[in-house]
Amino acid sequence: MILLTAIAGGLVAGLLWARWQKRSYQAPDLRSTWLVLVGFVPQLLIAYLPATHHLLPNWLAAVSLSASLVLFLAFVWINRRLPGMPVLMTGLLLNLIVMAANGGWMPISPEVASRVLGEDVRNVVALGGRFGQKDILLPLQEMHLEFLSDRFLLPAWSPYQVAFSAGDILIAAGAFWLLAKPTANSNQTNAE
Amino acid sequence: MKTTFAQIALFSSKLNRQHLQLAFAVLAIAMLVLGIGAPGDGGANPH
Repeated sequence: MILLTAIAGGLVAGLLWARWQKRSYQAPDLRSTWLVLVGFVPQLLIAYLPATHHLLPNWLAAVSLSASLVLFLAFVWINRRLPGMPVLMTGLLLNLIVMAANGGWMPISPEVASRVLGEDVRNVVALGGRFGQKDILLPLQEMHLEFLSDRFLLPAWSPYQVAFSAGDILIAAGAFWLLAKPTANSNQTNAE
Repeated sequence: MKTTFAQIALFSSKLNRQHLQLAFAVLAIAMLVLGIGAPGDGGANPH
């Protein structure tokens, strides 16, 4: 939800900027988008579709998630010259590193998860169990690279609660930038 | 029926290549961001 908000915000900012400049808005010129389409399939099955959420064994789901992140990394690398992509790539790398260090899942502590749920998470999920789409509930002492985990929260007054990582912040910022200030790829710009 | 076809034809004439390119780019970026981001909102857990 917070990530999609960044996309919507970036798109609105880009459209307003183009209107202000009296130019037509130009979509980012993405290359090799097939990598995103292929990479998203395991994500859809493992993380986002409730019907298939627990279909795969955890180890296979973790391996598939990591494999899809590698595909996304290839896509981001190919498009690295677009505005915002270096920031987005840094966020991707941070999430990839912390997930790889914790068995392929994004770690979240019981304290943070309880704040998200508004109740003691241990009544709902056992330690080591999956929480949400891609998280795994781990106590701090069993967590690797805790500073890169889902440890940040929205202000307590917010009606919607979500935990997010440093990588997520960079991904949201990169996506916003990508859509707010789209330009053609450098090769295309040189050709014109 | 004739009016419906006329409306569809009018709508498609307004949709140019640039609009489709923008829609595809936004969709690809949304899939990318959902794929690489990992915020935890507990959405898939039963209550």
